[in-house]
Amino acid sequence: MHPALKETIGYHALRGSGVTLFLLLWELAPRLGWIDPYFVPPFSRVLPEIGRLWQEGALQLHLVVSIWRAACGLVLAALIALPVGLLLGERFAALSEALDPVLRVLSQVNPFTLMPVFVLFFGIGETAKVAVVAWVSLWPILFYTITGVRGVDPVQVKSAASLGVTQTELLLKVLLPASLPTIAVGVRIGATITFYILVAAEMLGSSAGLGFLVHNSAMNYQIPRIYAGATFIVLLGFLLNRTLQLLERNLFDWQLAAAYRPHGGGYQRSLWQPGRLTVAAGSAFLLLFLILGGVEVQKIDREAAQPASESGGHSHHLGTPVDNGGF
Amino acid sequence: MATLHGISPIVGEENSKIVVRGINRTFHLKKGGGEPAREFVALKDIDLDVRKGEFLVLVGPSGCGKSTLLDILAGLAHPNSGEVRIDGKTITGPALDRGIVLQGYALFPWRTVRKNVEFGLEIKKVPKAQRRDISDRFIKLVGLDGFADRYPHELSGGMKQRVAIARALAYDPEVLLMDEPFAAVDAQTRENLQDELLRIWEETKKTIVFVTHSIEEAAFLGDRVAVLSANPGQVKEIVKVDLPRPRHNSDIRSSPEFGWVRHKIWELLQNTPHEPRAQVDSRPVADAISPSAAL
Repeated sequence: MHPALKETIGYHALRGSGVTLFLLLWELAPRLGWIDPYFVPPFSRVLPEIGRLWQEGALQLHLVVSIWRAACGLVLAALIALPVGLLLGERFAALSEALDPVLRVLSQVNPFTLMPVFVLFFGIGETAKVAVVAWVSLWPILFYTITGVRGVDPVQVKSAASLGVTQTELLLKVLLPASLPTIAVGVRIGATITFYILVAAEMLGSSAGLGFLVHNSAMNYQIPRIYAGATFIVLLGFLLNRTLQLLERNLFDWQLAAAYRPHGGGYQRSLWQPGRLTVAAGSAFLLLFLILGGVEVQKIDREAAQPASESGGHSHHLGTPVDNGGF
Repeated sequence: MATLHGISPIVGEENSKIVVRGINRTFHLKKGGGEPAREFVALKDIDLDVRKGEFLVLVGPSGCGKSTLLDILAGLAHPNSGEVRIDGKTITGPALDRGIVLQGYALFPWRTVRKNVEFGLEIKKVPKAQRRDISDRFIKLVGLDGFADRYPHELSGGMKQRVAIARALAYDPEVLLMDEPFAAVDAQTRENLQDELLRIWEETKKTIVFVTHSIEEAAFLGDRVAVLSANPGQVKEIVKVDLPRPRHNSDIRSSPEFGWVRHKIWELLQNTPHEPRAQVDSRPVADAISPSAAL
């Protein structure tokens, strides 16, 4: 075997050993009677439950609903935080200093403590959940944008200014690209928190989504299903974080890109520079998802709002055989 | 300003590219503890003429305002009084008729060498196909062919500074302003870059104003060397460097004439008071030795 390949396999085996050990414990502990298997069913009973949910189509449905809510909130947060952060960081440095304490205080406001207020303003429908998600992911994006813009090397700004660039050119060609790596970290943190918060919000009041799936299973004592939902949420959060990290590394890490390609050889690794077409296609896809997902979520909400007796057939489709969890 | 040994800084406006008249720049230094703000005269009554195609070096001790003067020439800073004319027109701000090379490389790390060189061309709205031709030419001129698609992090300090020079030349400014561009590279690379710069200057026939604190560099590069004194920043004398050209790829550095020029600049700088001692002595001793006094 090639030594480099051997090394790679060894590395991944080491990295995977922790997860393997955890899953093994999960399997053995209930089987050996260390913990009550009724409350903690072994992993081998949870896995088929995930498969069953998938076959029913319930998992996909809850997944789309949750991702749609998260995406809406995140896009909304970015649309507010990016321009405000750029303005505060670049144009109004003094104002940004003055506002900093109040922004920090606001960022500490947990939307759950103010859930009644959120419900008062946004109702109990989708708007409230999207607002909660937008609220929590807004702050990291805002703070990282301000920090990013302020951290741009003044020498870079000076050399651009010596060409007589306009304010817009300076923003688009220097300040924004220079601070994008920092902003991307903010977006990644925002997206990760979003996922936690969303699942919790769905448990508080909703008729679909991964949080609802777990909550509803608990209400109906479908214990393996709780673990199935929870495992799936963990997996999803992990994938989301990894994807964003990978994007960050391939789009913005100029330093790393250089490190991988030393003078006189080494293996090549260049940054991914998406063309205009790729960016346009990506944006179109996102927009389409937000619109179609919105229509779909509205439909699901309407179905769930109908009395249980009428929508018996549909509720099975939602993976909720007995009760709608009191909503 | 005319001195006994030197040449008048004013050479006559008709064949001057850059005309500097009566530039004054004062900074107000804020001090803590209720002391009144101290005035720091960075530049005082600066008159200077730079001929078309000339290589003028500004040399002086730190704090003599040579970088401030360069910023004013670039249009990045404004004088309290006086004016700068380029081709007879008073400058009001930065523009593409002047290129600037700074001490920090100031390259954009998210752009490849080629995209860095093309930056000014994008601002100038040069069409894409044409940009590529131009950047190819200037990357070649600074001896970096084969590195067009590399990122700044992959380059050595000397290579980065070549990119910065290519970027400043690519949009074809008539004047090149250089603020201690070779200060951060090692001695060997520095001499190479000086040779390269002279070759590029002779090929492109730009007017160059070059700021340095190295006497050797000033003597090697300049047609004339303006020696500045600090506190207040003034042109003390302008030394004409009569060394034969081309100077690059020659052993001119070891010639006696070079030694004489170098000594002459050194002597002028020696007579320049670096820090006015009287100012410290006039303050109470306790104040002068307390740690906060240094701040």
